[in-house]
Amino acid sequence: MAKESKGLTKVKEIYQDRPRRVKELKAEGRKVIGYLCAYPVLEMMTALDLVPYRVLGNMREPITKADACLPTMVCPFLRSSLDLALKDEYEFLDGMAMAHICDVGERMAHIWKTYRHYPYFYFMDVPHTVHKAALEKFKEEIKGFKKSLESFTRKELSSEKLKKAIKVHNDQRTLVRELYDLRKPDPPLVSATQVLQVMLALESIPVEEGNELLREVIDEIKERQEGPQKQAARLLIWGSIIDDVSLIETIESVGANIVMDDICVGTRFYWPEVEITQDPLDGLAYRYLVGIKCPRTCREVISDQTKKAYAADLENRFGYLKDYIKAWNVNGVILQSVRYCDTHGYEVPAVRDYLNSLGLPNTYLEHDYSQGSLAPLRTRIQAFLEILG
Amino acid sequence: MYFAGVDIGSTMTKVMIMAEDERTCSQVIGPTGAEHRRLANKVMEEALQQANLPFDEISYVVATGYGRVNVPFADRQITELTCHAKGVSSLFPNVRTAIDIGGQDAKGMKINQGNLVDFAMNDKCAAGTGRFLEVISDALGIKVEDLGKISLKSTKKVEISSVCTIFAQQEVISHLSEGTPLEDIVAGLHDAIAGRVVRMVKRLKIEPDVVLTGGVAKNVGVVRAIRENLGCELLVPEDPLLTGALGAAILGKEIVLKALAKGEAIPRKGRRLEEATFFN
Amino acid sequence: MAQEKKRAINRLQTMRPIRAEIDEIYKRSVEAVKAGEPTAWAMVNYWLADAIFNAMDIAAVYPESYSAACAAMGAAQPYLDRCDEEGFPTHMCGYARNCIGYTARMMNDLGGEIPPEAPMGGMPKPAVLVSRGLSCDAGFKWFQALGRYLDVPMWTLEMPIPGVEEGLSEGAYEQNVEFIVKELREFVKFLERVLSKKMDWDRLSETVHDLQEMGRVWHETNELRKSIPCPMHSRDFWSCMNGVTTPTGDLKKKLELYRNLYDEVKYRVENKIGSVAQEKYRVGFTELPPWHSLSLFDTLAERGWNFAIETWGYHPPIPMDLTGVNDPLERLARMSCGGLITSRFRGALQAGEYMGFLGYPNLEYAKEYKLDGFFLHPLLTCRAASAHLWYVQDRLMQKLKVPSLLIEGDIVDIRLFDLADALKKTEAFEEIMDHYKEVRKAEGMEW
Repeated sequence: MAKESKGLTKVKEIYQDRPRRVKELKAEGRKVIGYLCAYPVLEMMTALDLVPYRVLGNMREPITKADACLPTMVCPFLRSSLDLALKDEYEFLDGMAMAHICDVGERMAHIWKTYRHYPYFYFMDVPHTVHKAALEKFKEEIKGFKKSLESFTRKELSSEKLKKAIKVHNDQRTLVRELYDLRKPDPPLVSATQVLQVMLALESIPVEEGNELLREVIDEIKERQEGPQKQAARLLIWGSIIDDVSLIETIESVGANIVMDDICVGTRFYWPEVEITQDPLDGLAYRYLVGIKCPRTCREVISDQTKKAYAADLENRFGYLKDYIKAWNVNGVILQSVRYCDTHGYEVPAVRDYLNSLGLPNTYLEHDYSQGSLAPLRTRIQAFLEILG
Repeated sequence: MYFAGVDIGSTMTKVMIMAEDERTCSQVIGPTGAEHRRLANKVMEEALQQANLPFDEISYVVATGYGRVNVPFADRQITELTCHAKGVSSLFPNVRTAIDIGGQDAKGMKINQGNLVDFAMNDKCAAGTGRFLEVISDALGIKVEDLGKISLKSTKKVEISSVCTIFAQQEVISHLSEGTPLEDIVAGLHDAIAGRVVRMVKRLKIEPDVVLTGGVAKNVGVVRAIRENLGCELLVPEDPLLTGALGAAILGKEIVLKALAKGEAIPRKGRRLEEATFFN
Repeated sequence: MAQEKKRAINRLQTMRPIRAEIDEIYKRSVEAVKAGEPTAWAMVNYWLADAIFNAMDIAAVYPESYSAACAAMGAAQPYLDRCDEEGFPTHMCGYARNCIGYTARMMNDLGGEIPPEAPMGGMPKPAVLVSRGLSCDAGFKWFQALGRYLDVPMWTLEMPIPGVEEGLSEGAYEQNVEFIVKELREFVKFLERVLSKKMDWDRLSETVHDLQEMGRVWHETNELRKSIPCPMHSRDFWSCMNGVTTPTGDLKKKLELYRNLYDEVKYRVENKIGSVAQEKYRVGFTELPPWHSLSLFDTLAERGWNFAIETWGYHPPIPMDLTGVNDPLERLARMSCGGLITSRFRGALQAGEYMGFLGYPNLEYAKEYKLDGFFLHPLLTCRAASAHLWYVQDRLMQKLKVPSLLIEGDIVDIRLFDLADALKKTEAFEEIMDHYKEVRKAEGMEW
């Protein structure tokens, strides 16, 4: 029996065999709920002793079975996730929590439900705006989610339990920020590759275990001598989901340090905290609908003015990037998205306009979620770094 | 001091050796092929011979192009985007937009005072590259070099609607069978490739002066078609294949002079002049 | 149009005035702008905004329809190219690309003047943008992206689309209705402020009543298509549908035209007149038709293909009894949520089907219209209308032994649709339809 590993070693082990821990927990009688994307309310699952497990794809696995259900001209990440399910890689799950993340995600939820049966399956509709009525409606939606979980577990999800779970998840978010602080120095104390592995590991194990792992990792990074080399380029990476280190590794190996991100396995997932409200559902609804800054939500300013200025719109939508850029001393942004992602595709020109208004060099890479698509990107990445000088 | 630029493209390898005053000492162009990626040293040796210089007298070697990682004697590898921008700027100081159409890719570069500031690339699809013209000229049974002058005879170019090289080929064959004059078909093909490239470059907000480089720039028909699609003047250097190697050599010079000015050692990395192996 | 030769599809006479009325939309909005009245650019919004526009005298144009028209006329390519140049990905919705390219040209090249080459008189610069959250992300991402060229306020109309089981759970429907009503109230306030106009609530009530009636007539017309032979071809549906899906102008006048259409269809039913000479195959179509190659259906009609029904999402809401519901906003909410989106959820639940709005209605259609097959048309730039079609094909086969033909294309880029290839595939498909007819017979199914 191998010695119980800790810190970054443990992170790597988890990254390479993500379902291992939840399968162990299953054997001990725990129930595991798979969730796609950032919208299913984790706190509710944790509060009822369910283990949330983030469902991802595998860019190294050729898609074979999903072709019968989803055409090639859709998001390859979602196709891959479904493909894995159809290959029974997710049979260990006791249920799936899905949400209306995007067009293909919504349709895929129903397709998934048709072809794979779990004891529990829930689909949450998520409004597309942050209007007041939408927030109220979303509170009802998560109430529905809560009821479904109570029905499944035959337990009551009391306010007390929920508040406790919120605290633990908020703790994780605080710890992630501490980890990210270690990327502020020059050179950063930890590479983006390792940070990504940590994030993906956190999304594969129960939240308390994740917190413990984070504390180990933070201490280890602070103490160790070896870390990334200094590079001229300190980059922020923006865009659609990255669930494999290869793209990040490719960029960093060309000669850059990625010191910050705006992706849904990174800051989009961890930055927004749940405000402690009298009725915990209020804080949760706000955090998930408004707090998570994904382009799938339309963050429109409804002001008193009769005209709308593009610059003000961009500031409202992307102003948080300015804070990241300043605090992490970012000098270039790489925008990336998978081919066929409409959500991010529409957004790219606007984000670039915003970054250009800040005078921050940026470039856009489109890839197709496969190992093969990475090599041709090297020239583009290198040319961008050459522009940064 | 002497500087060398080695540009290993997917189709052609170009080497330029340059003196400190940017006078060309020698330039060699040869086919890359499967072997030559490994044998960049042979082309370099030829250039050295032409320049009558031993390898040791070269102060700095910059490699660029598709095969730039296969140059063990290079001190630095820099992307062809940056190198082309530099090379084109030395020939046309007022250039703001450069277009390069190679054998297997097409690039657009936005330039400000000799420096690359933005770029666009097509390296996924044959349509819009030299390959497109090769495939079609094969289908038409004519030599690629003759395409240009044939197209200039056209008075009514056809519209080739296919996005894909293979389907364009089919369109060409059906035009031929309908008796459409060859020059009109060729002019239509030039328009198709020009349209594709210009659309890609327009993402960069085209500003004059606009310069065209790459092997395809030797095709007068494509040059005309690009001019039409751009709606503005298009400049073409005398040696459109050499701007990458030229820029690489100039960048080598800049690196060396900068190091000397700072009193630092010249950051050389290149080993002996030998062929590339997989264990570099 | 071309001289009246013997056409394979027996088109309805009463379709023509409806289509002419629809074509007036652009002219009306240009005139409105000339007269200093505001124009809204709106996504198809299932009456939620339409009724409000009507009651507030806001001229609306629908860029979706405009882009479809550009495609049908072969005029979209320059706008698509322009959109590419503006830095948008090429895999985006073709309608959006056409519109973004058009808008970039209008605003950046011409200072806000309608491009002279724009077909059908073009679309004037809007005073407000109304996008939507239902059925596709482009529905709001596209208009949001237009903000780059238009400093114009935008409102996104929310429309919930629950899962089948979740949507039928206790209280879910009422919550959704309440949500829509609240949103619409805010939307009215927004329009009043932005356009300096006041809502006429009585007029809104009347408008909603007219829409309900128009929808009912149109619904019943389409019910008549269940007859054998089918009296009205999908081509006529597509020519007329915009009058209902994007209702503008004089609704009472429109209502008359639809009543005339109903009468003509009823007459055909009573006299067993079909829309093709020899109805050999009754076929359903989903989702978006190839606007640029509608002649395909004429060719198929010659071989006896009668397209009896199409895309559920284009159809009017199933008529509901709304007596006692006095608030016109609530009526609208119930019609869209109950009459359209969730109207087939109970059937879906019973059948064990989970795609209640986009998938399952096709199965009900197959049964109700006695369809021999489906023509499924995935579009390269529209994932919203294509991602589920392979699934739909499977469900139709698994549950009902009804085969489907998948023919790919695009909504605006004609280069991506191969007409010759499509026709070849339809020949082979005839044999498949014949085969499954036998299979269904052997299994004792009704058709």
